[in-house]
Amino acid sequence: MSRLTTLKELEAKLEGFLEGASAVHEEKLNRFESVHTLEQIAIDSLRGRFVNNRLGHWLDKNRLPLDDKKFDSEEITQIANFLDDIKKGLDPTDTDSQDLTREIEGLREKGVVPKRKFVLTIRRKPEGGELLQKFKDVLALEKELLESGEFENDHMLSILDDVLKSAEFKTDSMYMHLAGSMIYFLKMNGYKVTPFVKRLKEIEEKRLDGAKNV
Amino acid sequence: MSNAERSYNQALQALREKDYYAAEGFFKSAENQFAENDEFRILYESTKLLLAVKEEISELENERVLG
Repeated sequence: MSRLTTLKELEAKLEGFLEGASAVHEEKLNRFESVHTLEQIAIDSLRGRFVNNRLGHWLDKNRLPLDDKKFDSEEITQIANFLDDIKKGLDPTDTDSQDLTREIEGLREKGVVPKRKFVLTIRRKPEGGELLQKFKDVLALEKELLESGEFENDHMLSILDDVLKSAEFKTDSMYMHLAGSMIYFLKMNGYKVTPFVKRLKEIEEKRLDGAKNV
Repeated sequence: MSNAERSYNQALQALREKDYYAAEGFFKSAENQFAENDEFRILYESTKLLLAVKEEISELENERVLG
């Protein structure tokens, strides 16, 4: 048997062993992923982002495991704290948000109660591959916002107007990026975009002045 | 959950996804807290061995193809 063949057999055996070893932890890993996903939703919510759809999906996926008490007490506490953070960011005037708030309160009645406050920290500046991933995440969030139903049947110019208003009043820089991207797309399609460019520049200047004052 | 526990879980996730290089990095981050844990040591050492085997296979195949 050649050295290469022996090494390939060893490679296959090691891969099989590691696959089996990680499969033993399948349930724990699924729970870990659930808590981690909710943490990301809570962080985005604290940044003022629209999280209703992702929260709705998370609740759909985890309603049964929560009812069946599949999570341990530490995980339950984490989940409860993240839900508590998310609930504070939901818009009380919006029907979907009201439903989500009711569901979170229903979970609280079932024992998903926040016990100690986690401090969610914004992570360090990303580099290299992380930066690209962050960019993809922003694009995904922008897509989610556009497909949320909020802008159904609206013309793109009217959506851009709303996005610029959000960019003006919200701290999340996603709205600035989305506005810039929409303006460029409209320009590529022959629209006159000068007034929108002017508004975006003004918003950016205000933000820069605000940052300097801080 | 401590950072080391989180890293250990991430290493197991990476193993599940067959991303062995990422798994090695996460194991390394968790090493201080789990150095005495038998399961941890076996998985970490097996991952390192697998990466070494893959590297050697790659070298042998390169030699064979490129002469």
